[in-house]
Amino acid sequence: MAAFLASIGYAHWVIHVLLALPILAMPVILFAPVKSARYIAFGVALTELVVGIGLWWAFDPTRGGMQFVTDITWVEGFGIGYRVGIDGLSVLMVLLSVIMLPLVVWSSWRGIDQKQRGFYALIMALNTGMLGVFVATDLFLFYMFWELLLIPMYFMIGIWGSSNRLYAATKFVIYTFVGSFMMLVAIIWMVAVVGRATGAYSFAYANLLEHADLLKPWGGWLFTAFALAFAVKVPLFPFHTWLPDAHTEAPTAGSVDLAVILLKMGTYGFLRFAIPFFPQFALSKTVGTVMATLAVIGIIYAALVAMVQPDLKRLIAYSSVSHLGFVMLGIWGSTVESVQGAIMVMVSHGLSTGALFFMVGMLYERRHTRKISDYGGLARVTPLLATAFVITAFSSIGLPGLNGFVGEFLVLIGSFGRYPWLVGIAATVVVFSAGYMLWSTQRVFFNRLTNPLNEGIGDLNLRELAVIVPLIAAMIWIGLYPGPLLRRTAGAAQQYVEMVQSALPKAALPDPGAPR
Amino acid sequence: MPIDLSSPSGAVLALLPELLLSLWALVVLLYVAWRHRDGYDMRTAGALSLLGYIFAVAATGWLAWRGAHAEGLSIMIALDGFRFASDALLLWIAGAVTILSVRWLIRQGILAPEYYPLLMLATVGMMLLAGSADLITLFLGLEVMSISVYILAGFDRTRRASAEAALKYFLIGAFASGFLLYGIALTYGATGQFNFELIGAQFAATPPTLMAKLGMGLILIGFAFKVAAVPFHAWAPDVYEGAPTPITAFMATGVKAAAFFALARVLAEVFPAMVALWRPVLFGLAIVTMLVGNLTALSQTSMKRMLAYSSIAHAGYLMLALWAHSDEGTAAVLVYLLAYSITTVAAFGILASIERAGARTVLLTDLEGLFAVRPFASMGLSICMLSLLGFPGTFGFIGKWLLLSAALHQGQAVLPIVAMVGSAISIGYYLPVVLAMTLKPTRTRQAHQTIRFPRPARIAVAICIFAIMLFGVWPNVVLNFASQKVVQLRQAELPTGPR
Repeated sequence: MAAFLASIGYAHWVIHVLLALPILAMPVILFAPVKSARYIAFGVALTELVVGIGLWWAFDPTRGGMQFVTDITWVEGFGIGYRVGIDGLSVLMVLLSVIMLPLVVWSSWRGIDQKQRGFYALIMALNTGMLGVFVATDLFLFYMFWELLLIPMYFMIGIWGSSNRLYAATKFVIYTFVGSFMMLVAIIWMVAVVGRATGAYSFAYANLLEHADLLKPWGGWLFTAFALAFAVKVPLFPFHTWLPDAHTEAPTAGSVDLAVILLKMGTYGFLRFAIPFFPQFALSKTVGTVMATLAVIGIIYAALVAMVQPDLKRLIAYSSVSHLGFVMLGIWGSTVESVQGAIMVMVSHGLSTGALFFMVGMLYERRHTRKISDYGGLARVTPLLATAFVITAFSSIGLPGLNGFVGEFLVLIGSFGRYPWLVGIAATVVVFSAGYMLWSTQRVFFNRLTNPLNEGIGDLNLRELAVIVPLIAAMIWIGLYPGPLLRRTAGAAQQYVEMVQSALPKAALPDPGAPR
Repeated sequence: MPIDLSSPSGAVLALLPELLLSLWALVVLLYVAWRHRDGYDMRTAGALSLLGYIFAVAATGWLAWRGAHAEGLSIMIALDGFRFASDALLLWIAGAVTILSVRWLIRQGILAPEYYPLLMLATVGMMLLAGSADLITLFLGLEVMSISVYILAGFDRTRRASAEAALKYFLIGAFASGFLLYGIALTYGATGQFNFELIGAQFAATPPTLMAKLGMGLILIGFAFKVAAVPFHAWAPDVYEGAPTPITAFMATGVKAAAFFALARVLAEVFPAMVALWRPVLFGLAIVTMLVGNLTALSQTSMKRMLAYSSIAHAGYLMLALWAHSDEGTAAVLVYLLAYSITTVAAFGILASIERAGARTVLLTDLEGLFAVRPFASMGLSICMLSLLGFPGTFGFIGKWLLLSAALHQGQAVLPIVAMVGSAISIGYYLPVVLAMTLKPTRTRQAHQTIRFPRPARIAVAICIFAIMLFGVWPNVVLNFASQKVVQLRQAELPTGPR
């Protein structure tokens, strides 16, 4: 496969095609006949998948650093370039985005019955933006993609969302925008400082990283600016309040994209930018403890809040906050295991939460309610959906043998050396997450079928099965045999840990060479 | 092409754009004295005045192409790339406002074609103001501009709000002129010179006296009134709201731009030696202006008032570039004003089309559900709002980025942070506009049926919107132009800049 891809020059064009295709499809979808909009969108999505999936083979995990690199001058004289590349930190995220795209389009097949053209055009724009964030290696480009994402998401929530959509859409945009505005100042500041010292103004990630030492005097301020933007997106504990609203009000496709990709942009930002640029500050004892503590508070608090949610979507939204807390803990654990675990949690949270949102969307299409108390005993009428939901719920809880376990376990053992107490507390969340997931599963799918409205619910049709089955297969595969995924992230995690650790004074961290 | 400004022929050559425009204004005035009855005459006068702007642009372009520069001292008028660039910008604004006005005036029943010569004379004043190399020319330009705009603000004379706007603007404007004149007098008293270069040289040679410092302070206050910087902004919302909408666009872009060009020149050429004195003043003004402008805009319900306060906030952002006192700052002033003026003209153009004849100003609630009826107009206005917000992908973002860069490169981090806080606040009033248009349903069935978007205005607005998007992702042309050495102001060496 790799040889075939090399023979067609795959590495040279893959990123450009992935970025350009959806954005070029946008006007086509907008001006096509309404009926054909979803077919065009699905065609584009499948093409993206076919093109993007090649990364799995073309990506060489043994090589460190960026691959598929392109560096084209964009704004001459200001050091802005169209610089893109993929490394072990981003490759799984890119893959996740292209895999989710056809599923997202397909899941909206029936649910979106008005303004279809606009909807699919926005999905396309959203996809370009998401991929752009993960492949950009120029901070100007990165910031552009980062902010541009807000627009499609805003309209997606605001137009196709449920009853409280305006509030949720506004809240989402204001939180994210206000969170990230300082990042712009920080980026320009970094470029100014590095540029003055080296004489070359450049927004290139590699250039800034190489001269990260020059930024040390302002590390605290700059890190805070970056961290604010990313923490809102993750969302880290006190900044999380936009998420339940946005997730709940968004249409299924929006919720899935939010959960699977957008949240990961925050943690990815920490891994890619905030910590490597300012490791001395970010991983110092105080900051590390604060961040890890916030992460653990998020894990426990969100799980507790999830338990009492009457709304199924809200429950899953809070479970996202809880899972993303694990990612944050793993990042600050800063050992190879914990970082790999963090990436694994990012992937597996994407799979399981994506699947959960898809299934809630399917339930909603049937019954037009998300209230847990409106359901009950569905296993009798929808055995397939119930089976899928139960498997996904177990994966979300972190049952060994399914994907959720791998990442969380790695995070916990990887971070134990640095934060034994916090890890101990975080580990207890398994109880709570089992509590909210199983309890809600029981109330929706088991118990007695008391509500006569639920008797007429049909089981999954073929289209819906086609959305869910790949996700479930991936969950089981990763749970049983995570090797291929871990291999692809190992190099990058190793490099990342070495990079941030070498910048730290010795003895600030326990020996990363723990037995693996 | 060296031009000897002390000879009459040289002076004529140097003033060619202004002279052509003034002469053409007189021609148009003659025409309207003779034909001023109906819409046809209005349209003809408008078309004729457009011709005048084209002449002036051609003359400016010719001077710039020939590389006109002063032989020896710049007497009375500057001859440099910055003047030509600012002239081009001001003429562009005037032309666009004329195009927006043509049908709008007829629709509002304002059948007085003197509007166009006044607009041209105001433009002459703006050009003189932006291109002055002498305190007397500066004042002359300011007055020519202001007096024309006073009349234009009250041009819709049957409406009370318009009359109120004119009176307020006149009273405050006269007050501001007084400050400026006093400042000029004191500066003259301290140096015995009117010429920018000579004064600058004198300040550089000998430490400025108290009189000179007072003079500078008063001149700054005069300008602060004109650009509507807090706390000298109180006139702006009422005047912007009351004036005819195209004139509001003209004041928000042209007058502000001209004043900023002149201020940039004065600070760079007259008072560079006193940079340590005026930087703190600008610092304070910028912070207050950004915060007050943005916070007050939050609570506005009328679109014109909201844009008035937002334009106050933008004046605050622009002060970052002046504070920088560098070539980057000059480039940022040019780019930001271009981005801001394109966006604001387009926004007011769309608002003008939504206004009903003789009705009150457009409220935010009037825009509800616009997307369903007028998708392109509402998309255009949304893009304008995003550009004003400084959203990536729009021209406004490029401008804002340059402003922040200019200040940060001088080691100033507080102003950029406050500017971004201001931007973050501003999402609170720009976003509701987008929200109202696209996400809210129309109030009534009849809503938006009265919108008339005449073709010339539509084309002008469409070009603006296209430019906002194009320069948002492909700013190379603009950035390269603005960062050329030739369009920069003569920046005197910084004595001790806080690096």
